[in-house]
Amino acid sequence: MSPESAVKVSNLTKYYGDLLAVDHASFEVCRGEFFGLLGPNGAGKTTTIRMLTGQTRPTSGNAVVAGSDIAHQPIKAKERVGVVPEVSNLYDEMSAWDNLIFTAQLYDVPKDERDKRAKELLELFGLYERQKDRVGVFSRGMKRRLTIAAALIHRPDILFLDEPTTGLDVQSGRMIRNLIKELNESGTTIFLTTHYIEEADQLCQRVAIINQGKIIAVDNPEKLKATIEEHHIIEVSFSPVKDLNDKLRSLKHVSSVSRVGDKFRLHAEDASEVVPILIDFGRENNLRIMSINTLKPSLEDAFVQITGLSPEVMATEKDQVRREKSASVG
Amino acid sequence: MSKSIIKAVHIAKKDAKIYFFKWPNITFGLSLPAIIYLAFSVGKPTEISSTVSGLVAMAALFGAGAIQSVALPLERATGTFDRLLTAPVSLTTIVIGKALGGLFFGIVLSIAYSLIVIPFSGTTLTNPFLFTFGVVLSAYAFSALGVCISAPFRDIPEAMPPATLIRVAMVFLSGVLIPVATLPSFLQTIAHLLPLTYAVDMLQQAMTGQIAAQLLLLDALALVAFSFFFSVIAVLILRRTLH
Repeated sequence: MSPESAVKVSNLTKYYGDLLAVDHASFEVCRGEFFGLLGPNGAGKTTTIRMLTGQTRPTSGNAVVAGSDIAHQPIKAKERVGVVPEVSNLYDEMSAWDNLIFTAQLYDVPKDERDKRAKELLELFGLYERQKDRVGVFSRGMKRRLTIAAALIHRPDILFLDEPTTGLDVQSGRMIRNLIKELNESGTTIFLTTHYIEEADQLCQRVAIINQGKIIAVDNPEKLKATIEEHHIIEVSFSPVKDLNDKLRSLKHVSSVSRVGDKFRLHAEDASEVVPILIDFGRENNLRIMSINTLKPSLEDAFVQITGLSPEVMATEKDQVRREKSASVG
Repeated sequence: MSKSIIKAVHIAKKDAKIYFFKWPNITFGLSLPAIIYLAFSVGKPTEISSTVSGLVAMAALFGAGAIQSVALPLERATGTFDRLLTAPVSLTTIVIGKALGGLFFGIVLSIAYSLIVIPFSGTTLTNPFLFTFGVVLSAYAFSALGVCISAPFRDIPEAMPPATLIRVAMVFLSGVLIPVATLPSFLQTIAHLLPLTYAVDMLQQAMTGQIAAQLLLLDALALVAFSFFFSVIAVLILRRTLH
């Protein structure tokens, strides 16, 4: 592990019974980096973060976090790490203040520092006025902010965040993203899991794409996009709006089609070959072309190309994945 | 080492703050010893000192055990247990902290029962120091047992039945309601494998002042050994749940 490395994961594997949740994952996160683990729900992101933060033990493989092996020096590793789970794990029965102080006690924050840091963090996260309120009455966004505050009370070198904006309203999501960005700019290494491709594209310096427990690609978002630049994307919208996926997919030179709102994105090797075909297609089907553009590949396009998954899979929320899994088991 | 103990005390204080007044603690911890005693002992000719020691030992058993029948499964169900797992705290420290939380409740409940039962029964407490020492040792052993029993479970309804069953069975076998000497020999053997037997004996010696040094030492060592044994088992069970 190089001295510049904050997290080094080697062949990390996790089985739950017969289910392979993480399959020989290997990657490295540099100090001060904003790193994203991107994948659909159920891909193994949370299991990976749980292994790296001591909540579950790997079946095989190892990881070094903040210079300490998680299997042999777990306590030393945890001292330098802050963890923000997807669902609040604060004590609902305790006040915001008491939650922060208890966390500070667990992390050996000196007694004379605890109050000062708790006050600073509550002010920073806009919760100072609610410090005496029970966390149980907080909104989801407030809980998420307090969970991040608790993860920062011991000033960690690395902050692990599991789906930090999932389920939040637009304003709370934006606030959390800005806070995380500022933390990274002040030197904290950020390890973030997300199934929001746009979020990973906006925030992360490097992204690992995980699907079915396997790390498929690790690179900068721009480099991932560049890998598919030989593919052209044509975005077209018709009037009236109809489900045309199958018809468009059958057009000559079109390799794949996805629907984004009222528009269709067609992937092809050469856009100039497809545009005249689209014009003919509109005419033959009595459809008026409302707009037609060629696009630069986005991270979503790269993701689709790399994983073979549709963007809709990424939009599937965790609850739905759980329901589908339990239905298939039942 | 000292840091770990301090963290264990913080965990215990947190549990005390959150769980002392949870409804299952009140019903199981406070009322069950009195209900069992009233149901099975009233009107039967028993030594008044054994009644007091039995009731106080039961209060320690249900009080110390009740809090962890609630706290641990509830924390695992709500995810708050993960806060402890991600902190730089060993599983041993967590188990000791949880057991200390139960210990506080067990002591409070035992003292409450003592303050009510001793004056009303018209008996006197001959050796208060030994009695308090016995209550503390017993409550810790029972609390560690509570952590051990609830460690595999992830919600309260799952954890409560085995916890209650084990405690009630112990009450019938450990000399609280029926003297151990009157039990069939195989049940006497089982009785000597239960921590409540040693707790009742120790408290009874403190009540009457008739102290048999060797027996007293055996009671104390047995309670320490049970505390250690239950704590180790609890750590092993929790470690297994991480796999």
